[in-house]
Amino acid sequence: MKSNGAVLSIESLNRRFGRREVVRSLDLAVEAGQRIALWGPNGSGKSTVLRCVAGTLVPSAGSVRVGGHQAGELAARRLVGASLSQERSFYLRLSGRTNLLFFARMRYDNQREGVRSVDALIEELEIADIAAQRVDRCSTGMVQQLGIARALLGDPVVLLLDEPTRSLDAEARGRLWSALERRPHAAALIATHLDEDVKLCDERVSFPV
Amino acid sequence: MTNAFPFPFSLPRLGVIAALVRRDYLVQRSYRLAFVLDLFYGIVNLLVFYFISQTFTDVATADLSGAPSYFAFASIGIAITIVLQAASGGLAHRIREEQLTGTLEALTAQPITVPELSFGLAAFQFGFGMIRAAFYLLLTGLFFGVSFTQADWVGFVTVLIASGAALASIGVLLGALVLVMKRGEVLTGAITFAMGLVSGAFFPIAVLPGWLQTIGSVVPTRFAYDGLRSAIFEGGGWGGDAVALIVFAVIGLPIGVWCFGRALLQSRRAGTISQY
Repeated sequence: MKSNGAVLSIESLNRRFGRREVVRSLDLAVEAGQRIALWGPNGSGKSTVLRCVAGTLVPSAGSVRVGGHQAGELAARRLVGASLSQERSFYLRLSGRTNLLFFARMRYDNQREGVRSVDALIEELEIADIAAQRVDRCSTGMVQQLGIARALLGDPVVLLLDEPTRSLDAEARGRLWSALERRPHAAALIATHLDEDVKLCDERVSFPV
Repeated sequence: MTNAFPFPFSLPRLGVIAALVRRDYLVQRSYRLAFVLDLFYGIVNLLVFYFISQTFTDVATADLSGAPSYFAFASIGIAITIVLQAASGGLAHRIREEQLTGTLEALTAQPITVPELSFGLAAFQFGFGMIRAAFYLLLTGLFFGVSFTQADWVGFVTVLIASGAALASIGVLLGALVLVMKRGEVLTGAITFAMGLVSGAFFPIAVLPGWLQTIGSVVPTRFAYDGLRSAIFEGGGWGGDAVALIVFAVIGLPIGVWCFGRALLQSRRAGTISQY
């Protein structure tokens, strides 16, 4: 799967943890607007690939490039919006909105623009009630919606969504897919083991690879 | 990943550092009881040294860096130690908290540079330490009879800022240590405490064995305590200490930030950034 117009390019990606080879020789090219489902059972390496693209994990071998930049570089991280493991990725004693405003400050040089973007996302995803609460008072599904909002901050070119619909109700799932529809320029890499998610993607990559 | 942490570094964005400071302030504010208990602990600490000084009233003041009494000497040591511990151990403490709360991966996935991350995570602790130190100094002046009439406040602030910068370089190194070692906070606590011990935080270094005095003569905390006490009790004589601290900061900060970047890269390679 190679393409010259790829915003995300993965070549011969290999990642091992100790002796265990979790991802082996993965090649993938994702163009703007493409939705790719990384499909497979738990522990098959889907999240590992997302982490390599997000730059929080370095490949053992191979390369990952986002918009021509090596994954993990500052320029690459600007282009990527990630919703990885949600359970413990927010400041629990702060409200959802305060959390989003904090993360927005990393992506917008102009504070007002960050505030506008957060408020627009809260409205778009219909999470005003969630955003107003302290995160430690939110359910897993509510936190997951905050995670999706955070991933959309800064209008990323590449979206990384790890099991994005796992804890969502039908309405929230609908809002997530609608948000993706409204961003036809954004490529999305979606780790999932749910067939209904796969059906809404353009392509499926089966794991383990 | 070789270009992930460029050297020399770009200047940190103040807005990002301000956001980290604000976040830490909001989290700190949410623990109101802990905040009050912390102040209470500081006051008890002052009282302990006050009664020790009352017990041994005929201590010679020749080696007390110009302080008129042992309590004056120790109270300044306590107040300054708070700031110095915040500067040297603040980042390590924050990194450990980010590891334990699980937010470190989310944070490092953002477009944030190594200097922004290291200075931003340490800034609130340092500022909060300064406010606490000022509060305790105020208490010693108002209720414990310590006189600041000789104080050169410009010198005090100059040396305090230079001390913070010098010790921040050690703090960033200790933060790197926690990134790699995870439970490195015991070691960082021991190092910061030992620096205070050999630098004359609570007693004159003249009482230390010779070899400890030698070690104490080269650690930056020694210049910090000497310079700050000179500024407060003698109204001068802090210039040499300030210069030594600034030189230490100029050399140490880039090295510390570079090491922090390498530690972050090592965590990404090992796949441990989301672990605690």
